[in-house]
Amino acid sequence: MTMATATATPRDGAAKRGAVPDRRAYLRHSLLQQLAALRWGVLALIIVGWFVYYPIIDNFFVSTTTQDIFTGEVDNVGLDNYRRLLDDPVVWRALGNNGLYAVFSVIFQVFAAFVLAAIIEGLKNRTWRNFWRAVYFIPSAISTTVTGLLFYFIYQPDIGLLDAFLHLIGLQNLSYTWLGDERTAIYAIIAMSQWQGFGYSTLLFTIAIQKIPRELYDAATIDGAGAIRQLFAITFPLTREMTGMMIIVTIAGAFQVFNEVMVMTGGGPNNSSQVLGTWLYEQGFNQNDMGYAAAIGVVIFVATLITGLMQLWYTKRRRVQV
Amino acid sequence: MQRSLHTTAAFIAAASVMGLSFGLTASAAMAAGEAPVADPAAKVDYSGKLTILTKFGLQQLSPYFVNIAKAYEAAHPGVKVELIQENDDSIKGKTKTLVASNSLPDIYFSWTGTWGENFVRGNRAVDLSKVIGPDTDWGKTLSPAAVKAFAYNGKYFGVPLYLDAKFMGYNKKMFADLGLEAPKDFDGLLKACDALKASGVVPIAIGNKESWPLVHYLGQMLAYNVPVAALERDFDPKTAKFDDPGYVAALNQYKALQDRCAGGAQVNGLSYQTAMQSLSDKKAAMYYQEIIEFDQAATKETALKPEEFGFFKLPAPKDAKGSTTALEGAPEGYMVNTKAKNVPLAIDFLKFLTSQENGKTLSEPPFGQPSAVIGGADKTKINPNVAEGMDEIAKATYLMQWLDTVNHPRVAAAWLSGMQAFAGGSMSAEDLVASVRKAAAAAAK
Repeated sequence: MTMATATATPRDGAAKRGAVPDRRAYLRHSLLQQLAALRWGVLALIIVGWFVYYPIIDNFFVSTTTQDIFTGEVDNVGLDNYRRLLDDPVVWRALGNNGLYAVFSVIFQVFAAFVLAAIIEGLKNRTWRNFWRAVYFIPSAISTTVTGLLFYFIYQPDIGLLDAFLHLIGLQNLSYTWLGDERTAIYAIIAMSQWQGFGYSTLLFTIAIQKIPRELYDAATIDGAGAIRQLFAITFPLTREMTGMMIIVTIAGAFQVFNEVMVMTGGGPNNSSQVLGTWLYEQGFNQNDMGYAAAIGVVIFVATLITGLMQLWYTKRRRVQV
Repeated sequence: MQRSLHTTAAFIAAASVMGLSFGLTASAAMAAGEAPVADPAAKVDYSGKLTILTKFGLQQLSPYFVNIAKAYEAAHPGVKVELIQENDDSIKGKTKTLVASNSLPDIYFSWTGTWGENFVRGNRAVDLSKVIGPDTDWGKTLSPAAVKAFAYNGKYFGVPLYLDAKFMGYNKKMFADLGLEAPKDFDGLLKACDALKASGVVPIAIGNKESWPLVHYLGQMLAYNVPVAALERDFDPKTAKFDDPGYVAALNQYKALQDRCAGGAQVNGLSYQTAMQSLSDKKAAMYYQEIIEFDQAATKETALKPEEFGFFKLPAPKDAKGSTTALEGAPEGYMVNTKAKNVPLAIDFLKFLTSQENGKTLSEPPFGQPSAVIGGADKTKINPNVAEGMDEIAKATYLMQWLDTVNHPRVAAAWLSGMQAFAGGSMSAEDLVASVRKAAAAAAK
């Protein structure tokens, strides 16, 4: 409340009465402005609702049906698709593979990328800093499909680059059918993904590190803190927000993996490298089972939603202001 | 009932009211859920756009449809032909996406078996019986077995374009250098493999990254080991038993072939195309391939020259309980969408596509696809191996369709992933057959 309001006199009241039409005009104008703004907001809400939220909600309904794309027949089956999910060993294997993807991605694309970014930003020579940033970022500029094909050739038994290299250095005993063995296929794909995603994360971390005031490092140096102490006492806490965000993005991304698996193994051999995305595709488009595919889609949605909410909560609690 | 069926029925009914010439009759049949029937007397309106989904997306094949489309447009200036060209792998996903979004083109590619049956079941294929049935003028110009392969419930729904079958392609020079001949039985093949392996050559290049190549091996071996009646009973999940001992016998034969002729469990790490390249590069002596690939395996540009290329039918075991004269293969062709705006035009295009002249072009290099048109191959101009392969197809007493298209998708998936596991050594023959049986039971529900 303002002082003018608190000490209002009758004369002021008369003046106010005289100002009523102006105020009404102002309110009307303000309302019209808000309505105009709302008009644009509503439009955006409709677009987002129609293209983002409606498909998510519709997917829940589709997951309670069996659908035949050829005949268009739809039968309501309640939660049968979810019961089938629980009994489907490939779903569990796919979920496990997504989990593995997430673990390796967090290790390499978050923590290792953070360390690498700190090392690069610690370089005194600016030219070298730019050079190493570019070197690590280049793989991210290649499309996943192209990278998948590239690594498919690298992993080829006997004639692939990897096996040729092992032969060259006398380690032919380690030569292996990386993508053709149920035990190694998913790890070979994960390794490719880390190679590709590592540089992008590193670049994001370098941006976050650049925002940290240099004075903090100077003060720490005067206090006798070494590089590792500075990393954990300054760099890590002050990039926590970026780290949190990277963990969310990386884990959510691990549950949406599709292209690399599709290109390199198609989920094989014997479904050993299936992830939820490829199993969803297999069920929907190869086995003509859209209802079950939708149920798998719900699992992906729930997994990424939970991950996102947990990480947001964590980041909010532990936020550190400079 | 189905939304799409209602839409189709409403569409056809509305079109009839408007007096448009669809060349379709029997709107009452539509209401009953039956496919619209093509009318041979329908007048063709040579105008508008015709959309076609082909399986000729590969670089060496794609010009065929492009040239056909240009020739048809030149003959009928009012018609615009729009092509969507996919390859062997991508067409499966593309077709299902188009079906799911009700965007199937006017003419679309189809395999025989369950794949084609899906379109018939979904009322998405025009009944062509009156224009392509065996007794019709058009039907008589095509291989009767190929036309029959697209028959469902006594009606004809597809136009066969070419015949396909699986043969073992081999390097004749490599065989000759070791004093080997094309094997006559399965043991002979294994012995040939031993000799080739001893000479430092990969006997058979197998690439199973895509998972269907091994299923093709198995298809031929099942035809040899399982009686035809049992096979056909098992194609239908409702009657399937998968209890014939020939299934396990065929699997064990494949295992012997993999162990003695190929690189063991590493077959899952190689792609089909990479394996074919091994034969072309003379790194492998044999490669199990489709007749439609003969012209790609050995060309003037490849290390393996056309004159060095030979083929033989995968040899049958001596004690085979199935049909030793059966051959794995099936014609491939095209169907007409029930929602096509101008069905007579689509049929006219398909007649043009299967003319004698275009059949000959299809059979000749560089396309090398054995035309389903009778006399649609000038044997003096086509690859002699393709001509010989066509004779083999004609001699076959039973065409064993591809396991991944003749079976219910769930059963096909069990064969596909199971064969990868079997090849990799993580599943026994008995367990694989049991998993297929389980998939059939689930599909029958």
